[in-house]
Amino acid sequence: MDYQRLLYDAISCGAPIILCVLGGNFAHKANVLNIALEGMLLMGAFTSVLFTMLTKNILLGILICILINLIWGIVFSVMCVTKKGNPIIAGLAVNMLATAICAFLLKVLGMANLNVNSIVNVAGLKIQIPVINQIPFIGGIISGHPLMTYVSFIAIFVMWVIMYKTKFGVYVRVVGENEDAAVSVGINVNRIRYIAVLIGAVCSALAGINLSLEKMALFTNDMSAGIGFIAIAAIFCGSGRPGLTSIYAIIFGLAQSLAINLSISAGAYSGLFNTIPYFMIVFILAVVSIIKMKNNRVRGFKNE
Amino acid sequence: MKKSTKKLMALVLACLLTVAFSMTGCSSKDTSSGSSTASKEKIALVCSAAGANDNGYNQAAIKGLNQLKTEKGVDTKVVETTTDYPGTLKTLADAGYKLIYSLEYDFTALIDGVGGEKPLAEQYPDTTFVVFNANPNLKEDNTAKFKNVISVMFNVNEASFLAGALSVKVNENASVLFDSSKYSLTTGDAGRAVGFIGGTQSSGIEVFSYGYAEGINYVAKELGVNYTYYSTYNAGFSDSATGGTTAGTYYSEGANVVYTVAGSVGDGVDAKAKEVKKLSIEVDANKDSAQPGYILTSVLKNTNVPVYALGTALIDGTLASKGGTVINYSLGSEATGITDLSTIAAAIKSDSAAQAKWTEIKNYITDLSSKIGSGTIKVTNAQIGETLDIATLSNVKLPK
Repeated sequence: MDYQRLLYDAISCGAPIILCVLGGNFAHKANVLNIALEGMLLMGAFTSVLFTMLTKNILLGILICILINLIWGIVFSVMCVTKKGNPIIAGLAVNMLATAICAFLLKVLGMANLNVNSIVNVAGLKIQIPVINQIPFIGGIISGHPLMTYVSFIAIFVMWVIMYKTKFGVYVRVVGENEDAAVSVGINVNRIRYIAVLIGAVCSALAGINLSLEKMALFTNDMSAGIGFIAIAAIFCGSGRPGLTSIYAIIFGLAQSLAINLSISAGAYSGLFNTIPYFMIVFILAVVSIIKMKNNRVRGFKNE
Repeated sequence: MKKSTKKLMALVLACLLTVAFSMTGCSSKDTSSGSSTASKEKIALVCSAAGANDNGYNQAAIKGLNQLKTEKGVDTKVVETTTDYPGTLKTLADAGYKLIYSLEYDFTALIDGVGGEKPLAEQYPDTTFVVFNANPNLKEDNTAKFKNVISVMFNVNEASFLAGALSVKVNENASVLFDSSKYSLTTGDAGRAVGFIGGTQSSGIEVFSYGYAEGINYVAKELGVNYTYYSTYNAGFSDSATGGTTAGTYYSEGANVVYTVAGSVGDGVDAKAKEVKKLSIEVDANKDSAQPGYILTSVLKNTNVPVYALGTALIDGTLASKGGTVINYSLGSEATGITDLSTIAAAIKSDSAAQAKWTEIKNYITDLSSKIGSGTIKVTNAQIGETLDIATLSNVKLPK
């Protein structure tokens, strides 16, 4: 097996998951379960390609895509923050709407998929980092990814700073842990939650851009393929902490990459490897919650 | 006052919903043109889950149906993706459609019956149902179960054989044919590899893969070389991103051509082919121009041919004689085959050596096509239950 390619693919597969995870963390910490990540990701993938096609300009496509996802974020927030609706139902609605809107618009346009390869050169979007790409082995893994992949890794640090080193981060955590306390000290709870959800919407847009526009210059129906849900699993595994959740996101990316790379030598049994990412989700969630249970103490005593 | 406004609104909404629901119920009963006369034949078509805009399987069938409409003046009806497949068939048969094409892959309701009901083919003996890609209409003794069901099959195994032969021919002569600055094909023994990505493990997919492998084996044996055959049958039909990454691993393992039979996953593979400057093979419709120069060819399944032919038979009154049969569309029928290669031809170098080689390859493929037609070459057809004996693939290595 080619380990260099395995790790390169792991970073490549992991990037959209990391972005979704980082965006979802804030909503998680603010006690709004954002299961709409999947739909927002799909919407991001769709609108970025669609508007790149219409405007013939990648930057404009990306900008409009982010704006549209912000609208989605507001729709979701209105439903479950202002109107206090059940976030699971609201999220489900957003997910189903996103799938349906993409399929419907494709139908209206009369296209089987959106292809912008005449505008976007996928190979040209890959950034070769000077000096680093000269390092043997490591260079081939770290260098040669598209912009959003690097953004995702930089964002891990940025999000950590926002979460733990800013007033806003403190507010988000306070709102999530004790809403009444937050209200009593004059924090505008709803506004904090709106911002938390909107950060998630923007990050999902970036993940969608990474998935469709940057890696393939192509949108096909249902291409999100559960990445948003995998991200939710990672958020729960890492209980909303930017660093830890990102590590889980990379592990899930690695699992996907393993499934792909192992299939080359496995022949007919390669299908089994496709279960690796999902098996790992179940396994990690189980282990994490067992560990949490063990350390769960009530007034100094073990909670059994 | 305010309360009454609310009540009024609720009433209006309720009315709207009722109307909306009742409309959906009878939408499929409406005929497409209001001014239909009783003498007009009525033909319907039910799309598969991929939908009418799939740029392939469904869209071609609709094209055939529209041709019938304009040329023969029949009443036609297209039902797009439906969740209640048996219900749709029933509604159509009740509405007097005498010929119904079903592009769905699920035949249970039609042949075996679901929910304790009799099979639909039995319930509507005057309606002819046409199914594609398989022959479910069989009793245990291999005779036809219903006289009003026709199975249409495309010998895509033969078309895939040609695609396989073309892959090897092009790969072996890549340095002559292609401009090395535009392509980065792996050369030498390392480049003697191909990939196959299938959506699911079923005979409907294997029929492509087996034909392709045999085509590769045929030419490889002739040239005395060995090819590695990377394959997966679990790509699904929608995850184009993962499909692209999978193709990426095949390409970096040395494969120069990857053949994908997996719905929109193929689009991801084509995009990858362009990215790494190698070649891919498409399926169902002529998609060569999706990534011009990087799609070697497309294996065609022209559903419009049988749709038009059977519709004409209905009008001529000869349809009854075809009842209960299996119609196989072979290479010669133009319902299947590979594209005319004009898109990839534009990417071939313009010098005389390249052009001469390209003509030679095209002639070779035409020759192979006639050999298959005459029965000199026999290609395994998985969709009618034939299995491939891997031992016959002497020059194809399947990684274990």
